[in-house]
Amino acid sequence: MSEHVFELRDVSFRYPDGSRGLENCTHAVRRGSRTAMLGVNGSGKTTLFLHLNGILRPQAGTVLHDGMPLDYGRHGLRRLRSRVGLVFQNPDSQLFSASVREDVSFGPMNLGLERKIVRERVEEALMAVGLLEMADRPVHNLSYGQKKRVCIAGVLAMDPEVMILDEPMAGLDAPMQRELRRILERLHANGMTIVLATHDVDFAYQWADSITVMHDGGCAGTWGAEELPAALEELEPLGLGMPRVAELYRALVSCGMLRDDSFVPRSHGDLLLQLADVPRACSTN
Amino acid sequence: MLIERCAHGNRWRRVDPGAKGLFACCGLIAAFMAERPLVPCAMALAIACITVAGAGIRLRDYLRALLPPLFFLAVGSVTLAFSLHWAGEPVRLHLHLERSQLPHIALVCGRSLNGLAALLFLSLTTPLTDTITLLRRLRTPEALLDIMVLCYRTLFVLAEAVRDTVTAQSARLGYATVPLSLRSLGLLVANLSLQVWQRSRALHLAAQARNNDGPLCFLENEYTGGSSILLASVGGGALLVVSMMLGGEFQ
Repeated sequence: MSEHVFELRDVSFRYPDGSRGLENCTHAVRRGSRTAMLGVNGSGKTTLFLHLNGILRPQAGTVLHDGMPLDYGRHGLRRLRSRVGLVFQNPDSQLFSASVREDVSFGPMNLGLERKIVRERVEEALMAVGLLEMADRPVHNLSYGQKKRVCIAGVLAMDPEVMILDEPMAGLDAPMQRELRRILERLHANGMTIVLATHDVDFAYQWADSITVMHDGGCAGTWGAEELPAALEELEPLGLGMPRVAELYRALVSCGMLRDDSFVPRSHGDLLLQLADVPRACSTN
Repeated sequence: MLIERCAHGNRWRRVDPGAKGLFACCGLIAAFMAERPLVPCAMALAIACITVAGAGIRLRDYLRALLPPLFFLAVGSVTLAFSLHWAGEPVRLHLHLERSQLPHIALVCGRSLNGLAALLFLSLTTPLTDTITLLRRLRTPEALLDIMVLCYRTLFVLAEAVRDTVTAQSARLGYATVPLSLRSLGLLVANLSLQVWQRSRALHLAAQARNNDGPLCFLENEYTGGSSILLASVGGGALLVVSMMLGGEFQ
């Protein structure tokens, strides 16, 4: 089996109105990774995701899944979409049915599974996102964050290998963001490959193990999270800013409060732990 | 939203929609079988009592749901009872009451009231998703059901969009004067048309992403109370028998 679950080779796509979607985009998603796609609005993140699910077909270049070019035939797309789940940014664009349980069952029913299995999968998916007690509630009575979780459950119920989420944190309050993050952690711990788009460089830096920056329809670069502090200068011109923790860490290193060879913190909590050791380090010196 | 709230919050929410549909259907048939005005009126009252006392719909909510169709029924009955015509010397406009037609009009009103009570029973106790489940069981064409599912969901999405747009327009004095209101209304309609198109496209993409290439299929809900169909049959049968016994055929 290929190391990369997806590969895009020089993929280009323009929408019918002439606007650019992707321009010679080359990118690979490692199996089992947590990939964050960073980029400003219009940089091509959503277009790239629609290519990965086979909804859009490249006008130039190739998209490979498991090392094989995508099969755009009816059966090929059916196979692809049963293995690659896509969660859209706006939940109201994804939710069909007025009832939570019914909507979550939509994907597995499309897979042609037996009703007993569909029922089990729906229960499991709703439990995974913590919405089991709301299964019979009408969708329009849910909050925005709960609707997002229903969308994730709808994809989870299809039991995909890869989950693609377009701006999952957009519009969510802090507790809901933490809850969603816990859900993503659990899914990844179960072996799922997760690819998500975000504008939040701090979240991407903390959560992802691979960060790709999209710019003008192409992939401007991919870094492992541990490589990111060294690449901060490259991020700045792309309009994304720097992760605040990395920025603060560098400032602390440059003023001598932290050693240059110390572990690069990924989160505020990590940095606080390192700072807690500083007085001890000073007294030892 | 009132009907929606009642349908999701009543005591018989989890009862099989087949049972509720059967009872409502019997109520409708009984209305057409009645031949004296008091019979359907009495049955309408009985169905209303079952809806309020049995399903636990609040009386105030029931009356609020009943009033608009009742108003149309009243207007329709008045126009049936009275007629306008030119007569006399000099020619004047006369309002004429057709006394001979009053029993027929009373029967039509009674039947309408009975039918209204039966349909209100179904709509106030059964969420539309359950009604769609029932229609699917009754082999309604899939295309029609898909349209119902999408329209029902889109109704709430668009209602939210209308609310947001009107709020945004009002905040910028969009409805301050009559000409401004007309202009804002026009912009609202234009904006909504665009949103309908965009949302329908987004829903199509979302359906594709979840492997849909045919009818919209969902898992049927599970319902409690296996005896509900039997109870509904007994109740509905009772309505039919009462209607026949008091209707004049068997007197």
